[in-house]
Amino acid sequence: MSDYTIIGKRMPRVDSRAKVMGKAKFTADLKLPGMLVGKIKRSPYAHARILNIDTSKALALPGVKAIVTGKDTEGVKWGVFAYTRDQQFIQTEKARYIGDEVAGVAAVDEETALKALDLINVTYEELPAVFDPMAAMASQTELIHEEFPNNINIHVNIDTGHVDENFEKSYYIREDTFVAPEESYFQAEPYAVLARFDHDDCLEVWCPNGGPHMKSKPLSNSFKIPLHKVKIRKIAIGGAFGGRSEICPADYICALLAKKTNCPVKIVFTREENTIATRQGHAMITTHKTGVDKEGRVLARETTCYMDGGAYSSTGPIATSVPFLSMEQAYRMGSVRYNGYRVYTNKPIRGMIRVHGRGFACGLDTQLDMIAEHLGIDPVEMRLRNSRQPGEYTSTKSYVDSCAMDETIHKAVEASGWKEKWGKLPPFHGIGIGTNSVQTGFPMGIRGGSQSFIKFNEDGEATVMSGVVDNGQGNDNMLVQIAAEELGLLPEDIHLVSADTETTSSDPGSYSQVSTFVGGHAVKIAAANCREKLFEVASKILKVDPGNLAAKNRMIFVKDNPEKCVPIKKVVRVSLLNFNSVNAEGGYWPKVDMKREWVSNPYGQMCEAFSFGTTIVEVKVDPDTGQVEVLQATAAQDVGYALNPLVLEGQFEGSVAMGGQGGMLTEYHEWKDGRCLNPTMLDYKLPLACDMPKIKNIIVESLDPKGPYGAKEAGMSIAMSAAQGYSAAVSNAIGVHMDSFPLTPDKILAAIKKKKSKAD
Amino acid sequence: MDKIDISLNINDKPFEVRVAPNDTLLEVLRDQLDLTGSKESCGEGVCGSCTVHMDDKPVRSCLTLALEAQGCNIKTVEGLANGDDLSDLQQSFIDHGAVQCGFCTPGMLMSADALLKSNPSPNEETTRKALSGNICRCTGYAKIVEAVCHAANPHDRCPDCKTDNNSGE
Ligand code: FES
Ligand code: FES
Repeated sequence: MSDYTIIGKRMPRVDSRAKVMGKAKFTADLKLPGMLVGKIKRSPYAHARILNIDTSKALALPGVKAIVTGKDTEGVKWGVFAYTRDQQFIQTEKARYIGDEVAGVAAVDEETALKALDLINVTYEELPAVFDPMAAMASQTELIHEEFPNNINIHVNIDTGHVDENFEKSYYIREDTFVAPEESYFQAEPYAVLARFDHDDCLEVWCPNGGPHMKSKPLSNSFKIPLHKVKIRKIAIGGAFGGRSEICPADYICALLAKKTNCPVKIVFTREENTIATRQGHAMITTHKTGVDKEGRVLARETTCYMDGGAYSSTGPIATSVPFLSMEQAYRMGSVRYNGYRVYTNKPIRGMIRVHGRGFACGLDTQLDMIAEHLGIDPVEMRLRNSRQPGEYTSTKSYVDSCAMDETIHKAVEASGWKEKWGKLPPFHGIGIGTNSVQTGFPMGIRGGSQSFIKFNEDGEATVMSGVVDNGQGNDNMLVQIAAEELGLLPEDIHLVSADTETTSSDPGSYSQVSTFVGGHAVKIAAANCREKLFEVASKILKVDPGNLAAKNRMIFVKDNPEKCVPIKKVVRVSLLNFNSVNAEGGYWPKVDMKREWVSNPYGQMCEAFSFGTTIVEVKVDPDTGQVEVLQATAAQDVGYALNPLVLEGQFEGSVAMGGQGGMLTEYHEWKDGRCLNPTMLDYKLPLACDMPKIKNIIVESLDPKGPYGAKEAGMSIAMSAAQGYSAAVSNAIGVHMDSFPLTPDKILAAIKKKKSKAD
Repeated sequence: MDKIDISLNINDKPFEVRVAPNDTLLEVLRDQLDLTGSKESCGEGVCGSCTVHMDDKPVRSCLTLALEAQGCNIKTVEGLANGDDLSDLQQSFIDHGAVQCGFCTPGMLMSADALLKSNPSPNEETTRKALSGNICRCTGYAKIVEAVCHAANPHDRCPDCKTDNNSGE
């Protein structure tokens, strides 16, 4: 495996030079001639019927070029799935959360646009609103969406059978409930979109996205123009973390304003809009009931989860399933019954987030620790007795091929000094372990595959085309590394054209951890095909069989006689002289069960590979203030194969920050009557450099038989397991199993006090 | 509000601009001068992504009025490199994998550059403190801190430090 030239190396990223020079362009940095400023009018009410919208005063304001309201649309509802079409891009009948889109303005400058927003007069009839899922299900007042009784948006039911009888057989059973409120992405870049219609009536759009092809389809539907006329352009993206995968109403409003004014229009969100009007993480109430045998092996589990979905469906069916799926991948269970309910409330829309279901996962792990304690088993041993093994099927019938879960546990235990620390640390000093698993891809039907094209230029350099998008995680570099390796070129010889719907084929996008596994794979196949063509020509020049050739460092050479060689540039030119251009394509479609569906049939092969991660965390808690000091985090993940350890480590470290440090200690939203009280960076506490512990990264390689070079995904299992490791460590430090996350000082102090008063 | 003509010295070049009294330096840099390297992430002085130097001191350009910047030497991320030659700090960010999405990078570089000017070989703790006014959502800061500590400190090398980089002035 080690004879790769470029793959597996600590290669600095190809995109970083432009970024350190301030040259990389993000959407808000763009300027086009005649460009107007767009702004969105949002509902100030959580639930209200829209009776009338009077735009006359706003239109009369000098400098206002266009106003759009629901009247300019056909009232069509959009949804990720056919059965979740519940959201208009501009509301016509009613607003369902504070921030819902009711109108858009294009004006010559920001000041004028903001003034115009104030001059738009909307008459509302306020309706009773609901702000938590339990109240929403019981509510007798007007439903948020008429077609969804009891405000239940999605119900996922999974049942392997034998659950009740296995509870009967169990030696010990526990039932516990865990809660966690909403969190937000806080991507560094506030959402922005620039749209224009070009001379051919093609819609051109620049915006941060988790997959350009996921944006083009709904825009093509809404404007009733063919897909090839929607050109989502490549642009630097300041983070996504799962929150930028779908169409955003602003995309549509911006394009509609561009159409109406015949000018380019740019909308840049405020920080508050980015928090309120993109997506948030779901608040969840999760009850796990677990039955084990004497040795602590899980025989039966019943999990019920209520998720606060906010005003619209978003990726609801996926969101309702993934917290469960991650845990069924990580742990074996004799039998299981899962009921997940995603419930509408009059709050901002919830979507997928990097640590999706922190309360769900931390709850499950906390309960395992409680059971372990009851049975007198070490938490590490408890996990090893239940951990996923290679060659098994998950409860919902996905075959797990490569799996080094146990190795991640063993290595993290070793590196963290667990054995010397567990049970031996002084008071208020604790250590905890979390393990998790993430799927490499979701079933996405016709959009599940990726295709790449490669062409050689006469100078011996190559252009690689791929639909894969880079949100900041390093996908561009990954594609360049793979192409350079396969073609025998250097990274600087590769020109990457990516994430542009005009020039690249459909791709599943980056938000299901699938960019390397599917998109990278497609580039690998295309490049290998292209190399074969080069070898055909080179074999004639060198007079050897193509099978005896290899390529490296811009040269094609005879494997057992490397002196006998020819520059790739010459091979390309010889090929051109023989009337043949050198190019190729390649595609990769994961073999998943096409009949598997999130709600109607949640069984069958989910994706081709799963990653597994363990994080062990050591903390000190100040018993007087409830403050947590994190001493060390040890993160180990089975990534399949490390294509670039430097990039991988960065993913691990970012995951510990977002999943553990922020997700478990400081990040959550507060509300008053549906209004988010902390939408800005001032009020919402993100981890800072001085907060972060030392992080030990451990890369575990299981060489997945299907992944490119054996690679799976990088870092997501760490984000999830870090949350669990943090919560376990704090619980261990204070001697109380916490059930409400994140673990803020007030909750920690209350738990310490309660424990003390019980003891007295 | 009436606009005023002012001159600003940015990256050692003079610029004449017409600004409103309430225009921030960030707005003028980005909207009028096309110096879009400085970013707006929070717009309220919290994140540090808009950090520039005024007379070698890091300031938040989203909270600085353009009027206040008159008569100062302003430096932005675009002024860190010497033409195509990156500064040691910029190169160190690349080599240590300190750049992910890159949105925080310009501000991070400007804060770090100011730190290195006052302390050429900061230790980890000093660096973490100095960068605590800059929010990065991607990296968990580990590689950024490494990049800063190793940028100018020849005693503290790691395998990611490029050997031919910064031979110590
Ligand atoms: S944009 Fe200036 S500090 Fe955040
Ligand atoms: S690299 Fe993305 S915010 Fe720092």
